[in-house]
Amino acid sequence: MSLAAEAFVSQIAASEPWPENATLYQPLRDNQILLSDCASSLAVQAYLRMCDLPLRVCCRANAEHMSPSGKVPFIHVGNQVVSELGPIIQFTKAKGHSLSDVLDDVQRAEMKAYMELMNNMLLTAELYIQWCDETTAAEITRPRYSSPYPWPLKHILAYQKQWEVRRKMSAVGWAEKTLEQVYEDVAQCCQALSQRLGTQMYFFNRQPTELDALVFGHLFTILTTQLTSNELSDKVKTYSNLLTFVHRIEQTYFEGLNQAGQSGAGPWAPPEV
Amino acid sequence: MGTVHARSLDPLPMQGPDLGVHADDVEVIDVEPETKQEVLENKDVVVQRVHIDGLGRTKEDLLGYEIADVFTAKNLIDVMKKSHDAREKLLHLGIFRKVEVVIDTSEGEDALPNGLDVTFEVTELRRLTGSYNTMVGNNEGSMVLGLKLPNILGRAEKLTFQFSYGTKETSYGLSFFKPKPGHFDRNVSVNLYKVTGQFPWSSLRETDRGISTEFNFPIWKTNHTLKWEGVWRELGCLARTASFAVREESGHSLKSSLSHAMVIDTRNSAILPKKGILLKINQELAGYTGGDVSFLKEDFEIQLNRRLFWDSVLSASLWGGMLLPIGDKPTCIADRFYLGGPTSVRGFSMYSIGPQSEGDYLGGEAFWASGAHLYTPLPFRPGRGGFGDLFRMHFFLNAGNLCRLDYGEGPRSHLQKLAECIRWSYGAGIVLRLGNIARLELNYCVPMGVQSGDRICDGVQFGAGIRFL
Repeated sequence: MSLAAEAFVSQIAASEPWPENATLYQPLRDNQILLSDCASSLAVQAYLRMCDLPLRVCCRANAEHMSPSGKVPFIHVGNQVVSELGPIIQFTKAKGHSLSDVLDDVQRAEMKAYMELMNNMLLTAELYIQWCDETTAAEITRPRYSSPYPWPLKHILAYQKQWEVRRKMSAVGWAEKTLEQVYEDVAQCCQALSQRLGTQMYFFNRQPTELDALVFGHLFTILTTQLTSNELSDKVKTYSNLLTFVHRIEQTYFEGLNQAGQSGAGPWAPPEV
Repeated sequence: MGTVHARSLDPLPMQGPDLGVHADDVEVIDVEPETKQEVLENKDVVVQRVHIDGLGRTKEDLLGYEIADVFTAKNLIDVMKKSHDAREKLLHLGIFRKVEVVIDTSEGEDALPNGLDVTFEVTELRRLTGSYNTMVGNNEGSMVLGLKLPNILGRAEKLTFQFSYGTKETSYGLSFFKPKPGHFDRNVSVNLYKVTGQFPWSSLRETDRGISTEFNFPIWKTNHTLKWEGVWRELGCLARTASFAVREESGHSLKSSLSHAMVIDTRNSAILPKKGILLKINQELAGYTGGDVSFLKEDFEIQLNRRLFWDSVLSASLWGGMLLPIGDKPTCIADRFYLGGPTSVRGFSMYSIGPQSEGDYLGGEAFWASGAHLYTPLPFRPGRGGFGDLFRMHFFLNAGNLCRLDYGEGPRSHLQKLAECIRWSYGAGIVLRLGNIARLELNYCVPMGVQSGDRICDGVQFGAGIRFL
């Protein structure tokens, strides 16, 4: 968002408390949502649970087109609509809820650096594997993405999205990478995270921050999603402290609903092919 | 006719210079008797041959039907009338630039004494005509390229292509038209198009990419159209401040529908008719030939015109429609009806009547609207016989109502909903007729029966369009 828009949103947001009926919108859980979208959505849900803010999750087939920026997830709070984790963090901060207030400036800069690493490396790797690897794209991504639409619209939309993502990959210079190189990048990213985490409970002190929410969202989704090969989840599994970290956050913040999750009444469930 | 010699009325002068002319030498002027004129009006003639000269790519079998009538003429006046009718029919096909008729007596061995040859000298239109314009609209400019290929396969088929490239949006349309030889009113056309529209009253942007096939045919006095249409619709919000109800409608959908329309039009003009009636009934069924939108839509339009004393015309019209969703998905905002504005219930802002959410109008699934007008010439008739005839003054009374069909209580409650809280307005204004295509109005309106949520435009309202209530 531009600076002026951010200032405007903060002004409006600060005046009202967080309502009970705040809703998060994401694509359909069972058949449509993709790995990258599920990771982003889970990160936002984890963050809001860590802030102890009530949230409902609503699945819509056109969530991506409803979003003001074109990316999922987005939240509808009062009469405001905010999409993506960064702006949502700003929005909750304007309402007086924040997880990173206890950090000093050095730590905050470090946290921002790691979040940038996640977005530039891990998220881009997920998009690459989904859309640029032809086997995954043909068997999983395109059928899932186009499942709510009738023929022939489904093929048009799936190929249109694929073309758009591939163009973005060329723009960031990932088009020439091979799949092995991408897996290597993922491994390096996980190594950096593992080293930073060490034996701590959370990345900074004993309190979770937005970095914890983002890491949880991506790693949990990678671990629980079936792709054409297990290589991606294997890269994460080599670091046991990341596994315990993911498990701990799941236990602490999502435990109460996991029982109900099997019947589909829970707000989230890992996507399966 | 006989020859006429010049002659002088004055006797030759007796005095004066000797001109060497003597009275006895002057010729005696003799007027020959009038030659008898052949009176052909009532004489029987036989049309022996009809030629068409100047055909290039047009196939001859196409024209046989248009000129067949000329052979049945019995006398000269009849021949001239039927040739004129044939000429009109040939021009109506839209493949000739000029058609001239030459009627001559027959020549040749088998020529009858009362035989005639009729020749149509035609000039075909060029194979390709193009046009190029630039347009400037609301904060955008665009260039429009049009191409027309008349008569491409020789039987009056027409291919038109229009492409508009603008700073904001691009749109195009390709259309192929083929009439049935001999029956121009029975025709088929196939269209391919992409259009974009912006609807500020709903904060909605719509992009339609579609293909449609349509058959037109007359039955007795009515004109019928059967059409199949497949459209890929993309809806989006026009501004960040769009209401959430409109935001929920964003996305892609595919509509595949069959529709039928019947039109009876006995008016003398479509724009400011002086007499005649119009009846239009349209139904559309979507969802049974594919797509993910399923509904049954009916709408009708009735207009009656009658001439009164002193060149004034009384006109009454009634519109109505209903949209029934089939299945459990709710209707889409792009399919619903809208009401209000200078072309519909005057006195209200454009399409600003009925259900709305945060200032965005969502349209309704059932509506009716009616209008009564008295058109009179301008007072004191300025510019009579020329420019002043394009203007008319009118006094009007409009009423209408619009509602959703989801009150869950059955048809009786919907009828009740449509009958209560009627919006209506009255007023007067000036109407300008633009050729036979469009009409401009400047009215002073007083809206009444305004419900909360409607946006009104009381006072002076300007409207331009083709179809008015």
